[in-house]
Amino acid sequence: MSKYQLAVDVGGTFTDVFVFDSQTNKISVVKVSSTPHNPAEGILTGVAQAKVNMEDIHFFSHGTTVGLNALITRNLPKTALITTKGFRDVPEIRRGTRLELWDAYADVAPPYIRRRDRFEVEERVDYNGNVLAPLNEQEAYELARILKRRGIESVAISFINAYTNGVNELRMKEIIQQELPGVYVCTSSETLPEIFEHERTSTTIINAVLGPILNSYIDQLTNEMKSKGYKGDVLVLHSGGGVMTSETVPKYAARVSSSGIAAGAIAGSYIAKLCGYQNSIGLDMGGTSTDISLMYNGDLRITKDWYVEYGYPIGFPSIEIQTIGAGGGSLAWIDEGGSLRNGPQSAGADPGPVCYEKGGTEPTNTDANVLLGRLNTKLLKGEMTLNKEAARQVIREKIGKPFQLSDEEAANAIIKVANANMCDALRLISIRRGYDPRDFALVAFGGAGALHGAHLAKEMEIPTVIVPPFPGITSAMGCLLVDVRHDISKTYLKNVDDVTIDELNEEFAKMELEACELLREEGIADEDMNLIRYIDMRYVGQWRSLEVSAARSIQTLDEILERFHQEHQREFAFSDRTQGVEIYGLRIAAIGVVPKPELHKYEPEGTLEEALIEYRDVYFEEAGGFVKTPIYDREKVPVLTEFVGPAIVEQMDSTTVVPPEVRVKVDEYRNMIMTIPKEGE
Amino acid sequence: MSQVTYKSKLDPVTFEVLKNAFVNLVDQMSEQILRTCYSFVIYNRDFSSAFCDAQGNTVMQGTQDISVHVGTLHLTAKAVIEDFGDDIHPGDVFIVNDPYRGGTHFCDVSIIRPIFYEDELIAFMQTKGHWADMGGSVPGSFDVQSQDHYGEGVRIPPVRIWSKGQYLADVANLLVSNMRLPEERLGDLRAQAEATQVAGNQLLQLIEKYGKETVLIAFEEVQDYVERLAKAKISKLPNGTWETVDYIDMDPELGDGLIPIRVKMTIEDDMIHYDLGGSHSYISCFLNAGYGASFSAVVAGTKTFFPEVPLNSGFYRTLKVDLPEDSVVNAPHPIAVTGFCSGAYEKIMNAIFELWSEILPERALACSFNLEYLLIGGWDRRPGYDNYFMWYDWMAGGHGGRNQKDGANALSPVFGVGLSVQPCEGQERLSPVITTHHQIITDSGGPGQFRGGCGVEKGGILTKIDRTVMSYCCDRSRSITWGIFGGLPSNPHGAWLNKGKEEEQFLGSIFSGVKVKEGDSFTRPSAGGGGLGDPLKRDPQAVLEDVIDGYVSIERARKDYGVVIWAIDPEIDQYEIDEEATAKEREYIRQNRKQWLMTPIEEVQSLYDQGEIDSLDMIRRYGVVLDAQTGKILPKSTEQYRESMYKRTLKYWQD
Repeated sequence: MSKYQLAVDVGGTFTDVFVFDSQTNKISVVKVSSTPHNPAEGILTGVAQAKVNMEDIHFFSHGTTVGLNALITRNLPKTALITTKGFRDVPEIRRGTRLELWDAYADVAPPYIRRRDRFEVEERVDYNGNVLAPLNEQEAYELARILKRRGIESVAISFINAYTNGVNELRMKEIIQQELPGVYVCTSSETLPEIFEHERTSTTIINAVLGPILNSYIDQLTNEMKSKGYKGDVLVLHSGGGVMTSETVPKYAARVSSSGIAAGAIAGSYIAKLCGYQNSIGLDMGGTSTDISLMYNGDLRITKDWYVEYGYPIGFPSIEIQTIGAGGGSLAWIDEGGSLRNGPQSAGADPGPVCYEKGGTEPTNTDANVLLGRLNTKLLKGEMTLNKEAARQVIREKIGKPFQLSDEEAANAIIKVANANMCDALRLISIRRGYDPRDFALVAFGGAGALHGAHLAKEMEIPTVIVPPFPGITSAMGCLLVDVRHDISKTYLKNVDDVTIDELNEEFAKMELEACELLREEGIADEDMNLIRYIDMRYVGQWRSLEVSAARSIQTLDEILERFHQEHQREFAFSDRTQGVEIYGLRIAAIGVVPKPELHKYEPEGTLEEALIEYRDVYFEEAGGFVKTPIYDREKVPVLTEFVGPAIVEQMDSTTVVPPEVRVKVDEYRNMIMTIPKEGE
Repeated sequence: MSQVTYKSKLDPVTFEVLKNAFVNLVDQMSEQILRTCYSFVIYNRDFSSAFCDAQGNTVMQGTQDISVHVGTLHLTAKAVIEDFGDDIHPGDVFIVNDPYRGGTHFCDVSIIRPIFYEDELIAFMQTKGHWADMGGSVPGSFDVQSQDHYGEGVRIPPVRIWSKGQYLADVANLLVSNMRLPEERLGDLRAQAEATQVAGNQLLQLIEKYGKETVLIAFEEVQDYVERLAKAKISKLPNGTWETVDYIDMDPELGDGLIPIRVKMTIEDDMIHYDLGGSHSYISCFLNAGYGASFSAVVAGTKTFFPEVPLNSGFYRTLKVDLPEDSVVNAPHPIAVTGFCSGAYEKIMNAIFELWSEILPERALACSFNLEYLLIGGWDRRPGYDNYFMWYDWMAGGHGGRNQKDGANALSPVFGVGLSVQPCEGQERLSPVITTHHQIITDSGGPGQFRGGCGVEKGGILTKIDRTVMSYCCDRSRSITWGIFGGLPSNPHGAWLNKGKEEEQFLGSIFSGVKVKEGDSFTRPSAGGGGLGDPLKRDPQAVLEDVIDGYVSIERARKDYGVVIWAIDPEIDQYEIDEEATAKEREYIRQNRKQWLMTPIEEVQSLYDQGEIDSLDMIRRYGVVLDAQTGKILPKSTEQYRESMYKRTLKYWQD
């Protein structure tokens, strides 16, 4: 009897296995070490440790770093690029820019395909899709012969203007398939038919270098799982916030290149919705960095500006994540100008914070939190002891003395600077995009999110903070909460005055046909398909565009135009209804709804008093210093309880700080919901 | 990490928080402009943002700003203060583009908004962006032939364009009516003005939260902080004086002869003094720089060696800069300066790179390729089109060789490495030009133990055009991108019309108003970077890898590096280094190379005329400068170039 839904988040260090029992609606979690040499091994070990039989699993979904690692280490199959004559250096010239404007020694990473493996053929299509020169077949066959001799394992084809007409690309592909059977081939017109040769080529190349890797990875994992009795499909999370099946992974391999990072954002938004919020900011804070995402009106913000390595864009829509180098292990330091800084350097796990006594010599946020009494000196149920005196010494020497601050003031200063840096990142994704944080809930998770969440919310005037039941493994849960999803997009440049409704509906209908085909291949029944239309628009003469959603059958453009003006006003604080507007692109989000777990609702058991572990002195600047503070065991805090800070709530994988006057309510899913009083209230 | 010796008026947390908030606020302005602008030049990141205190000093400049604007935004703010004094009110917005008042060139338009708190002027928010056209005789407003600014475009001294919140449509219309595509310019104006408003509001929120006193103190302390940070770093360097010279190709009216820009740098304790005395007087084309632009070049050149120091007026306080009056680096009104970016600007920057390479060899950087703009403007007659078009293009190129590291291939110019090159597919939609190639040039990197980065070539065919002209703004077709510490030059810049056809024509590195017709083709290379270190010391294996990738040809591997490589089976990358022949070849070059560099030019000319040496041999082996139009050696330019090459290259050869 299959009864389990499994989500697995394969990270660089740990593999988290999240088990949902659909009979009891209960959750259990296992954390094992990742096995980068063979990621499937870690997954299988984790599943075994979770004491789940493969035949009892009816749904398996996972996020993986296989693609990411392959790109970063350049451990890639021997891949060739074929371009129009005169353009083989497009991926090396890129847009010419360097990320570090002032550091002449900080180079952009080299292209994924070296120049020796980039080839040209004679062919040409113009901006309108007219074939100026057909593919030179003689050259194409000659090239196929050379690629064969070179032992090429994968081929990316990207011709100039192929976004308007892919005929020459497709012919080239046929020849490669005919002459090099079994070799992976992808074309830019099938991968991402969008204007701009570098962005399209880059996406196609990443697809080509990852295609064979992900293909064999999924094959291997599927085989091993099937041999142990699993009968379902192996789903993979992609950066667009959906999953895909093994059938479509090769087509859209580039989307899996930051698979895991989307999981946290999805989980955060899911929890916010569960608590009744349609607007939320996800704060996933770990040991070295923090990932921030934003959901507005129930949708996570999407971006098309993303990459794994600077200079090599991946044109598929992706959940927008702001990552900053601020985590528990971030170092506090004083620069040559005498300014107190925090991060981005981190003590990481090794040597780790000074209080871990593993050789760390510089103060970290964790050291400051220990000194302030916020973190217990005994972590992981006593498995790990932190040395508070060591933390005190280093903070006194490195920060307190130079600034003539007491130990506690110095520790508090460290945390405040760290919080300010995170607030800057929160502003970036909220205020800077025209969202008012006062309309949002902050979902704080990751190992360290709940330590800082309440103070960040206070600073940002965010009224509510949600801490999910298992903050440390929330990301893994994200993999269980998604649908199958594809985004089909194309460049479509036209002034709205020249667009007829019929024509537009027809363009969309063509894309929807393709989308349904994809979903059908993945085994999605027609009634579970959900197609959403989006139109990219801009004022005539502008260079960037804004995306607005459109009805499934468009009757009039007026409503869409109005939405565009409103979005422009919200995002940039101005709009102009007298100005001409043009359409820049069309997109279909093709969603195949898959069953989601229904989380268990708990009944209250026990009392808050029974959850009390001890009282401890904890430093709260707002209360004037150390305050005698109750410390609760999260596992024992009954649902539907309410209490007011100061309080500290401890659990295996995380610690929640409840500052004075903050009101906490535990809901029936065991989420802790904090209400942050406004200043002066 | 040093001990704090400085006593701040603010507690460390408030200071750090406000400092970061200032950075954020300025970057937010930039981001908003990027997303709402109309000029494709701004869209490709030719813009900057800053906020200045009530005196006009820059408190913070954007972290992603283009190099070419750094060190100028405080000057424009001060120009507004100077002209309007007490007559500045809440709701006012000013516009300035005056290169003689601290601006850079006409296309760089600053929008400046004074910020008031309870009726007290506390700050100026400023964004500066390169507008695609400012009027004048040629599209894009880059008229190479102009000798004064009157033909170049609209000069805007500080002008009020919003008065107490009221938009002065008449003033705006007067300005944009003199520009091509006036609607788009109004779009840029609006985008920039709104961005300053958003940043202003953010500053006011900081004041609400921290109090006016605290925020104003932070204005000062953030400048003091940057000054301390920079001075702490400068103090660790030895005192001394270093000097060098770089050249602009020529003054078109003077003919043969490179135009010297001299830079003398003195480090004295915690101050850096730059003296550009001895630089040539201003020239008869628009490659001159005004005061603001040259100051910016000094700031940007220096900053490259202190990448982590934030930019504000505190940094400028560590610099003393002397720019001789009426010179090519300090041209007075009304001398044309629009082409400063290709002219004096990058010469000053590269000269400064060379000086700092001596002081901080671990950050050494040989000369990089020259900023170049090709403009084709005329009538688009493609089916369905009947409008004016502008094909306005710039390229990436090779950067100089570095310490233990080759120079970067195909990178945006030192003028601003954040400036993006444009996608051909976008250009083909907007104009009747088909790009035929956009590719890296084999053998373009200056030879060195660490090779200069490779340059790029881009060209196209003109399709259905009418009444169309072509202009070019570049340099270093004669003052060729040079190597250091024994490294060799790369290749000359310069544009070609109908290359390889019967009517082939070399047009040079600056020209304007050249008539073109349907079917004409054009192309031009960008230079590679100069090499660093003796090319004969380059690891033969590295040369082989370059040959496999086509960065270096087999022929030039032998000539430039003395490495003899045999092609066994190129289809599968099989090549072989002939070690014996390599040792022999290297010895032969070692024996002769000093002699080559001193060969009388008549002899070199005759070797060239007989086809025994090619144009790369001319510059790399013989150090002679060729007029590519006539195929004749330029004697005066050659003399000057060789003198520099002796100092930068020959002196370092230990044979």
